[in-house]
Amino acid sequence: MSEYKGYSNDKKNQHNSYHKINVGDKGKEVLQGINENSHIIKQFKKYAIELDTKHDRYERIVKINRDITIESKRIIFLLHTLDKESKRNTILEEAETRINNLIKILFKNIALELYGHDPYLYLKAYRTGFQEFIEAISFYWYLQNNTLFNWTKLAESMRYRIKDLNENEQYSVEEKTIQTLIAPVEYILGIADLTGELMRKCINNLSNGDISSCYQICNFVRNMYKGFLSCAGITTAEVNKKMYVLKQNLLKMENVCYTIKVRGSEIPKHMLADVAIVATEDMTLDIDEGYRVY
Amino acid sequence: MSDTVAEIFKLFQDHLNNEQEIREVNEIRNNVKQIEKITRDIVIILQNIHNEHTEENIIVADYCTKARTLFEDVRKYYEKLAIIVPTDQYYRFHFEWKSVTQRLCYLASLVVYLEVRILVTKEIAADILGIKQKSEDGFHLDLEDFLMGLLQLSTELSRYAINSVTNGNYHQPMEIAHFVNELNAGFRLLNLKNDALRKRFDSLKYNVKKIEEVVYDLSIRGLKPNTNITQESTVVQGNKI
Repeated sequence: MSEYKGYSNDKKNQHNSYHKINVGDKGKEVLQGINENSHIIKQFKKYAIELDTKHDRYERIVKINRDITIESKRIIFLLHTLDKESKRNTILEEAETRINNLIKILFKNIALELYGHDPYLYLKAYRTGFQEFIEAISFYWYLQNNTLFNWTKLAESMRYRIKDLNENEQYSVEEKTIQTLIAPVEYILGIADLTGELMRKCINNLSNGDISSCYQICNFVRNMYKGFLSCAGITTAEVNKKMYVLKQNLLKMENVCYTIKVRGSEIPKHMLADVAIVATEDMTLDIDEGYRVY
Repeated sequence: MSDTVAEIFKLFQDHLNNEQEIREVNEIRNNVKQIEKITRDIVIILQNIHNEHTEENIIVADYCTKARTLFEDVRKYYEKLAIIVPTDQYYRFHFEWKSVTQRLCYLASLVVYLEVRILVTKEIAADILGIKQKSEDGFHLDLEDFLMGLLQLSTELSRYAINSVTNGNYHQPMEIAHFVNELNAGFRLLNLKNDALRKRFDSLKYNVKKIEEVVYDLSIRGLKPNTNITQESTVVQGNKI
């Protein structure tokens, strides 16, 4: 009997909840009775303004971030068109100007938005663009100097350039903020992306018949890989993913080098690239499956 | 060439070590742990409000006083944190104390609600926690953390409403319904992004609904205090069916 009672009671409650009109009576009464000047409403109006200001600033930075990403990708694309020694200077010069423009205009805009605010609060808004930018500038740097770009240089150059352009003291102060904000972790993530570009460059070089630089790039990336392995304490999912891709890139390049070594004398140079790429793809497929097993 | 690559990674490693140091050696973590411990104590004390009480007001006031004493300790540790964390790097380490601060905001708002039946303001909450109100002043109370605390409050109050009825207090749910509805109206004034706060806010309407149902259950049975039916034993029995 009591069981039955309990059941019917549940039923009834369920039934009640379908008729929200009755259930919500109190809510309606309160909502209608709410005065614009009530304590809570007044408070929340204040909070709304504060939240909006923050979100607006965040969105503005996101917009700049998008512009930086697009321009950085274009610079990388431009750098990939470098295939002949004769084009070298024009392309590198153009890339340099465009990188400088990014620093002078878009990054300055971010600095202006961040002025007087905790930069770490807005780091998320522009970190992707910043990583892309690191990729572009370090790719440029590699083609120019054959070395890895150092982020501390960027910090210096950003501040330096803007100071030169503007005699306004305020701007240079803001630039200091952006400097601290060249978060090394973001730099490292950008550098990890660089290996992808280097791999592409390596294969392009091969098809252009520039074999020595293939070995050079491969060695360079190998050193970077070593560097990544040596870093203790970065084990976020994002880093791990990038490390995996980095290793794939490295393996591809090593296979390209292998193909050159073994079959370089058998095949005409302009065909080597195709052979190497095919060989690489075969190899990486195997490796992929090997990873899946574990 | 390999030297430069190695050097750069060495630099990066130094940076990581440095950050680790700020977190651990400077004892951000330790201080936060202390705060978390006290927070748990406050939570446990305030859980007692759900108990059956014979003398409602005295006991509630008693728990609130105890909680307030514990908040004094909380303030001490926040003070230490404020010294450790550099002024413009609050959000660099924000993650460390974010959730405990939200919880403390909820507890502070609960205490204030129990005491004077009003919604705590962000300023007062910051004072109870012993931290600054504005980000310009350094270690402050983040607005979104505060709002998160208020949303947690609504969940607890919906529970409180139900347990009050069980304990024979039919007046409580009415007050709570009024309060939570007003809170809900307040939250609707905010333009929320699609983030954690928004998700938490979505659960507010379920709390509102739950309290509404309690009010409804009381109303249709004539148990609403203003319907002039005194709380007799027969009524209590009626509620149980």
